[in-house]
Amino acid sequence: MDETVAEYIRRTVLKIPRDEIRTMLQTWGFLSEAQLQTLNFHQTKDNVSQDVVQLCEDNSADIKQAAVLDIIYNHIYPNKRIWSVYQMNKTGEEMDFFDLTDFKKKFKRRLRSALKNVTINFREYEDNAIWIRIAWGTPYKKPNQYKTSYVVYHSQTPYVFISASVLRSTLPLLCQALVVASNYHDIREMELRSHCLNSLKDIVFKRYSQTFQTYYPKPLQERNVAPENVDLRIIQENRNEKERIQRVNREVFGDGPQPKLEFAQYKLETMFKSNPKMDVLDIKEPFRCLVKFSSPHLLESLKSLAPAGLADAPLSSLLTCIPQKARNYFKIRERKGFFPGSFVSP
Amino acid sequence: GVLSHLEMLEAQAHELALKQEETEQQEEKLDRLKARVQELRLQRDELRAKVDLQQKRLLGKEGVVTSGVPGAAQPSDRAILEWKVKSVQAMLQVFYLTGISGKLTKHGVCFCISTAYEGTYLDSYHLDLITKPEVQIRRHSVPVFIPLEQLAKKYLQTDIRRFLSALSDHLNAYAGRRYQADQLQERFSDRLEGTLQRNSLCNMLVFNYNMSGKKQTFPFSAKLLYGDLCRSLPTEAIVSCTPGAPASLAERTAAHSDVFRRLALHKAFESFSSPEESLD
Repeated sequence: MDETVAEYIRRTVLKIPRDEIRTMLQTWGFLSEAQLQTLNFHQTKDNVSQDVVQLCEDNSADIKQAAVLDIIYNHIYPNKRIWSVYQMNKTGEEMDFFDLTDFKKKFKRRLRSALKNVTINFREYEDNAIWIRIAWGTPYKKPNQYKTSYVVYHSQTPYVFISASVLRSTLPLLCQALVVASNYHDIREMELRSHCLNSLKDIVFKRYSQTFQTYYPKPLQERNVAPENVDLRIIQENRNEKERIQRVNREVFGDGPQPKLEFAQYKLETMFKSNPKMDVLDIKEPFRCLVKFSSPHLLESLKSLAPAGLADAPLSSLLTCIPQKARNYFKIRERKGFFPGSFVSP
Repeated sequence: GVLSHLEMLEAQAHELALKQEETEQQEEKLDRLKARVQELRLQRDELRAKVDLQQKRLLGKEGVVTSGVPGAAQPSDRAILEWKVKSVQAMLQVFYLTGISGKLTKHGVCFCISTAYEGTYLDSYHLDLITKPEVQIRRHSVPVFIPLEQLAKKYLQTDIRRFLSALSDHLNAYAGRRYQADQLQERFSDRLEGTLQRNSLCNMLVFNYNMSGKKQTFPFSAKLLYGDLCRSLPTEAIVSCTPGAPASLAERTAAHSDVFRRLALHKAFESFSSPEESLD
């Protein structure tokens, strides 16, 4: 077995948390159950990984099989990478059946025709997600297994989720191969990025909770009916306001959990409006500034601002339009017209 | 000299003493008034509680009077209102069950399309439309692989009924296809080789199967193509047999293809296990 393959397997096993190693090796399926029984998972991870490499040596693993283990690891821990969303367009109305074998063949052929030294692996999952792992080489060097890009594509949708590696120069090749394989015409990057792949899927596939007005009776969940025997001396002075805030919040954000985003970035190119006596304004140029909101869970924290009394309800539509517009990078320019204001560029 | 100075000091001390007395008196007065306010508040609360109690007693008496008298069929206003509300709710429920229901919003209409397949209610999808200046879709929860934009371009401005009906057909057919595929995997997994290959729209299914779960081999291979997105039955069913299989099995492929095109997937598999089929 190749030295590089052994080292790659060893490093991949080291990344896996100790409790998950056994299950992941089972999902991988390359080592038999009998071989897995011989492993002692309680020793140090270093030793465990060495033992796994030894077993793989016995089974003569090659780089393709090692790559499958890497895909399985990244599928279970996708949040360790940053994912961008790309949207494809096609002008025709033909409905296609999406033949998976055809897709794979076209993708490999297109990519290999541009660059021979690539390792390409596919893996399909139950939710119609196709995971593609690509390890990039150069025209003169073998593929570097540590410089990988991942692509997640759901058939018959125009969205692709890409976690590019450090090699941004390979992105155009990757995009072109995707467009050709999926029978679309072109592809563009959307202004939507996050660590949480499932939340990105929720946003573009519209799987997050939106409130729609319907007559269909939904169970009344959070109606806090005040108990009858409350102390009469305690008066809630702004109960109406509190209820209004709850109602407006629910209309905007819905009842369910929000998709998980880590940041929203607004690039302002607007004029500075303030006291005309300040010298800064003599220059009639847009005042460039960048506002970035960061949070472990941005949308949940925005949802809790108004009930916590930290902001007025309703919140600015620039913040609340994020899932609806499917973007978290904005450019705000001056609106040219009768009413000075700002408008968001498409 | 000294005496006049002393006099002055004495006068000042006197003044200060007076002032201090004044402030003390004022504070005392304030405290008394505060205490008085507390007393009055307590009184007010007690009186309020008494008034509430009396009102409740009065209402209670009325209730007793009207229901105690036999034959006096005068239902109270409240009962009539409750009946009206219940009947309206039932009407709205009926509309929901028909599959397309809507509600006017402040900028337009919000439609709810609910899907069903052979008596089982499946998911609902919503469309939030604005009506001025022209009909546009503001928000929706339709899955991304349903050709919503194409349908909207064709019908939304001109014939909204046709738009809704076409969208409802697409969604119901998709829900039906997905339901069949799920049923096949859940109930007949022993007759399938592994999982079946499908796509997002569930309009192409590929699987290997046998006719009864006891066998280990899966001689048949099927590829179902649903060319019409508004139908939940395949337009094409290509069934083939593995080359080494006995002739008796190979003869059945045409019959199977026909069954797949006529019956729902899970019903088709049910028919395979009926006595006539397992005669090999």
